[in-house]
Amino acid sequence: MHFDTLHQQYSTGKLAMWLFLGQELLFFCGLFTAYAVYRGNHQEMFHYAHYFLDWKLGGLNTVVLLTSSLTAAWSVRCAQLEQRKGLLITLALTFLCAGAFMVVKYFEYSHKLHIGAVWGSNFGVATADLPPALLEKYPNMTGEQLQSMGMGTFFAIYFCMTGLHGIHVLVGMGLYAWLFVRALRGSFNRRYYGAVDNVALYWHIVDMIWIFLFPLLYLIG
Amino acid sequence: MTDVPYETGHDHNVQGHDVHEPHEGLPGTIGHVSSWKSLVKVLGALLVLTVITVAVAQVDLGRMNIVGALGIACVKASIVALWFMHLRYDKRFNFWILVCSLAFVAWMVGYILMDSAIYQHNITEYRKDHPLTVKPIESDGHGHE
Amino acid sequence: MAGGIVEKPASGEVIHPKVHYLNASKGLKSWLVTLDHKRIAIMYLVAVSVALLLGGFWAVLLRTELLGPRDMILSNDWYNRAFTLHGAVMVFLFIIPGIPASLGNFILPMQLGAKDLALPRVNLMSWYLYVIGLVFFLAVLFLGGLDTGWTLYPPYSSGRDIQWNLILSYSAVFILGFSSILTGLNFIATMHKLRPKGMSMYHMPLFLWALYATSLIQVLATPVVGLTLGLSLVEHMFKIGIFLPQYGGDPVMYQHFFWFYSHPAVYIMVLPAMGVQSEVIATFSRKHVFGYKAIGWSSIAIAAIGFIVWGHHMFVSGQSPTAGIIFSLLTFFVAIPSAIKVFNWVATLYKGSIDFKSPMIYALSFIYLFGIGGLTGLFLASIATNVHLHDTYFIIAHFHMVMVGSVLTAFLGGVHYWWPKMTGRMYNETLGRIAAVMVFIGFNVTFMPQFVAGTRGMPRRYANYLDEFTIFHQISTIGAYILGAAVVLQAGYLIHSLFKGKKAPPNPWGAASLEWQSTSPPDFHNFTEKPIVMGAYDFENWELVSEDAGYRLKREVVETGKSLSKVH
Repeated sequence: MHFDTLHQQYSTGKLAMWLFLGQELLFFCGLFTAYAVYRGNHQEMFHYAHYFLDWKLGGLNTVVLLTSSLTAAWSVRCAQLEQRKGLLITLALTFLCAGAFMVVKYFEYSHKLHIGAVWGSNFGVATADLPPALLEKYPNMTGEQLQSMGMGTFFAIYFCMTGLHGIHVLVGMGLYAWLFVRALRGSFNRRYYGAVDNVALYWHIVDMIWIFLFPLLYLIG
Repeated sequence: MTDVPYETGHDHNVQGHDVHEPHEGLPGTIGHVSSWKSLVKVLGALLVLTVITVAVAQVDLGRMNIVGALGIACVKASIVALWFMHLRYDKRFNFWILVCSLAFVAWMVGYILMDSAIYQHNITEYRKDHPLTVKPIESDGHGHE
Repeated sequence: MAGGIVEKPASGEVIHPKVHYLNASKGLKSWLVTLDHKRIAIMYLVAVSVALLLGGFWAVLLRTELLGPRDMILSNDWYNRAFTLHGAVMVFLFIIPGIPASLGNFILPMQLGAKDLALPRVNLMSWYLYVIGLVFFLAVLFLGGLDTGWTLYPPYSSGRDIQWNLILSYSAVFILGFSSILTGLNFIATMHKLRPKGMSMYHMPLFLWALYATSLIQVLATPVVGLTLGLSLVEHMFKIGIFLPQYGGDPVMYQHFFWFYSHPAVYIMVLPAMGVQSEVIATFSRKHVFGYKAIGWSSIAIAAIGFIVWGHHMFVSGQSPTAGIIFSLLTFFVAIPSAIKVFNWVATLYKGSIDFKSPMIYALSFIYLFGIGGLTGLFLASIATNVHLHDTYFIIAHFHMVMVGSVLTAFLGGVHYWWPKMTGRMYNETLGRIAAVMVFIGFNVTFMPQFVAGTRGMPRRYANYLDEFTIFHQISTIGAYILGAAVVLQAGYLIHSLFKGKKAPPNPWGAASLEWQSTSPPDFHNFTEKPIVMGAYDFENWELVSEDAGYRLKREVVETGKSLSKVH
């Protein structure tokens, strides 16, 4: 081993993880920029677009993800205190919350694909499926007209942002499954739990991104 | 790994502050142990703020809606970073990594937003004469070979 | 505390290690699953050399095509593919990972007196990611090449019908970016956490400062290009309309995103080269480097300023005039830390006892080429001149001088400088000097005429041109051949030295950073005994034994374990 102490190993891993999280922020940054630019250019369409999204489902997912952040933070505490049962429970709960998040996401996605509320030139929602608020302002609006006014751009960004975030959630689920197996084997103790801590850090960043995505996509005023 | 002495390892290259002594937990534990009460309180605060975000969004405040939503999101994110991610108790350097990344995020978003706002009228004027027509993928005439 | 091998009897006899990292374990598998940073560095060195030869092959084809104003050997379509692959392979596979991943990987832990990088598994993973990227680019080659230009600007790239070579190229750059990020964060973690007692940041060799600055950029900028090309890939397949104008996207935004990475990437390329430069110049002047802190901090300054100047690639791309003016102004600031470095290197030479070994010849060429490349950069930073010179050969000559002129010379210089340490063999010094001079001459002959042709209006990326430019192109092509010959010569004598070269002493140059306290080649654990921590430029601690036995630590240093230098 090339470290002098376990503490040095722990803090090195943590520093590297923080650097990784820094690059995660820059990674998402491009999409936030695209969002900001196109929201500025198509303010009206972005406003009406949010009626296609169900804030209740988005809110539910927010609660699910925040709860999983608590269990993730708690799993670190359990590892530090060598509470084996608690560690297994919190790791499993985090995994399950992430799964629940993806299930809700699945229903949201399949609904949108079903009515044709998708990206770019493929946007083609039938007039009957348009939100009432939109029809109030523009009666007889067709999906094609909406697309040329920038609605397709919103859904391009919506699917990219939530899709990229969803991929991160899936990666997180894989990591928690891996941690669970390691915890079952009893790999962690009060002086060696860096993996639990670092995966939790990753999970919190995924949560943090969602904290921004929720109001930006579901609650556009 | 077995040859390491039991006492808390001394990190001889500490950047910023050394780790706080845990006020709870077993002897020799590395890192700060958060009490479960504080963790639950943090979740409570986050949930309350989520409710506030949703409530504020139902009221039409014009431009202030986005400011409010982002403001609350920033508070929530800070809470997650400081407590869930232990930044309050962590080495100062990790905190600066986060701040530094956010500074670059702000610079990139801000600058591109400014630039595109200035040149946007060129596109808008062009689009008046050349409206965007819907082109399904099948009839894409921009293939090369 | 003893100093290892160098403390051998006064006779100056050098013991060559029988067991070292190269033969500590045998077989292909022992290399492919190794976690030893030295072996990974060697694997990187082989891989980036393959990329260099591949990119160089395209360069020679291009220059041959340009020998005459009409079609020579390539069709126009193949000319486009040749310059695209030349650019993409050289940028993404050679210059960006070249110095940090090969030389840096080998030298960084050794200069810290450490056993390995902080995260050895991550290090191996980044090598595999790199190789996947390399294989993808080779696959692109066999799928009919790529003709979008290395920048992959939409709509000409992602706006087309779906094609495999584009999908593979986007994926390759994405994967290479990931490899680069992992290297960067590994380096930063290592420099923070594995420094030995008694070595503060200000005691680190300047090569490490340069690598630190490089790593910062790798971590903070690379993800942006990863996302950009990932988005382009999605857009290419689903036509989602984020960058493609025909679907409501904004292609200028692509350029913003792309250059947010790709401009700092220029500093990912050049900063490690500057680091090698600081080591080589100080060692072969046998003088403590002048202005240590200025050189170190100017690396950080270049990294920081590198992030705020990307718009100067977009002066004629539809960026707003306001942004153009701001970016033009900011761009001039890069000149300051760059000039500080050049000034300090020249001041280090002043009254030094200069030894014209091959690495030193490369280092001096670096100053010259970087000087010209940097100063012509100032012309291009001012908007009015830029609009005139944009997309001409002046740009080509400028960025080849500043990127390739400095990175290639520093890479070659660094390889020669650390060759005895890495392989345990000395190369043929005479041939080394000849090759170094050939590189210098070849470079100038290639690119000086391009400056002239550019100012007279020769546009870039054209297979055919007006007759009046013929002479410039012909001279330039001759230069490229000289460069090519130099590279072949180097490959020849370096490979020869592996088998027939003289065995290298631990410290052939009298350099003072810690890696020279280990044997040549180093032990599997880098050092058999803990090295004596001392200033990286405390040359007074070393004395010459003989030409063959190189330098050894002075007896007082070994006995007291303290540096004799008063500088730090």
